[in-house]
Amino acid sequence: MDDRTPFETRTREILEESTAKLDGRTLSRLTQARHAAQESKPARSPWMSFAPAGAAAAVAVLAVVMWSGNRASDPVLFAQGTQVDDMELLADGEAPDFTDVAEDLEFYEWAADEVET
Amino acid sequence: MTSRALDQFLQSVERRAFKIAQLGLRNEDDALDAVQDSMMKLVQSYGSRGEDELKPLFYRILSNRIRDMQRRRTVRGRIMAWLPTRDAEDDEEIDIVAQAASPDPEPARRLEIDEAIGVLESAIADLPPRQQQAFLLRNFEGLDVAETASAMGCSEGSVKTHYFRALESLRARLGDVI
Repeated sequence: MDDRTPFETRTREILEESTAKLDGRTLSRLTQARHAAQESKPARSPWMSFAPAGAAAAVAVLAVVMWSGNRASDPVLFAQGTQVDDMELLADGEAPDFTDVAEDLEFYEWAADEVET
Repeated sequence: MTSRALDQFLQSVERRAFKIAQLGLRNEDDALDAVQDSMMKLVQSYGSRGEDELKPLFYRILSNRIRDMQRRRTVRGRIMAWLPTRDAEDDEEIDIVAQAASPDPEPARRLEIDEAIGVLESAIADLPPRQQQAFLLRNFEGLDVAETASAMGCSEGSVKTHYFRALESLRARLGDVI
């Protein structure tokens, strides 16, 4: 609050003065309260210090298991992939043209007839 | 957050927190209890939070604690009204540490400050609880509107309204006194 009016500034100053004038007993009890609060902090179990490492190990094991599972199903996936690839190859315009082979057969038949005659 | 950083934070707010609780509860022992409970709650439940989150969280806890104690006191007051009263002076003990106020070199100046503190604190203590909270968190603790809204559990608009009304009320009552 930087835009305080003089009245706000004065009231704040007076309140600050009042906290500066707190007696020894009150200050001592505030210190005790603070220490008591710090001591009430839930103690961390020694086992909890291994928690991050344990969690990391669990994730690693899970990752290995999942990866192995995928590998086990690979043959099927590869087989399916091959079938799909074959179909694409057959449908592809770049596939071998069997009409050439048919034309060759006609040529060999004609040549054989010529030889016979 | 490290224990050391948390301790530094608590140390930085403990005096103002006590004053806020004292003005809300009008009793030093209750105020100290409220501050200690709030510190414990913060450490146990939110000790791992970032430093920028701690202040609104702490004052949210403290505000709730003060409100709970005010409510409990109201109920207890109704019950005690039916019981015979006991002289409070019988319970008072002389506490040398309590009487050892901080050293101050100028008696006249000290008297003037003491009067101003008394008048202002009395006026603040008489404010409605929400106005009192808004005034102390905004002006005294220096929280911004968003942080005050978070600490009070209300909207920023409500904070502005409560703060404005608190200021008007204090100005009207104190005028040129302080």
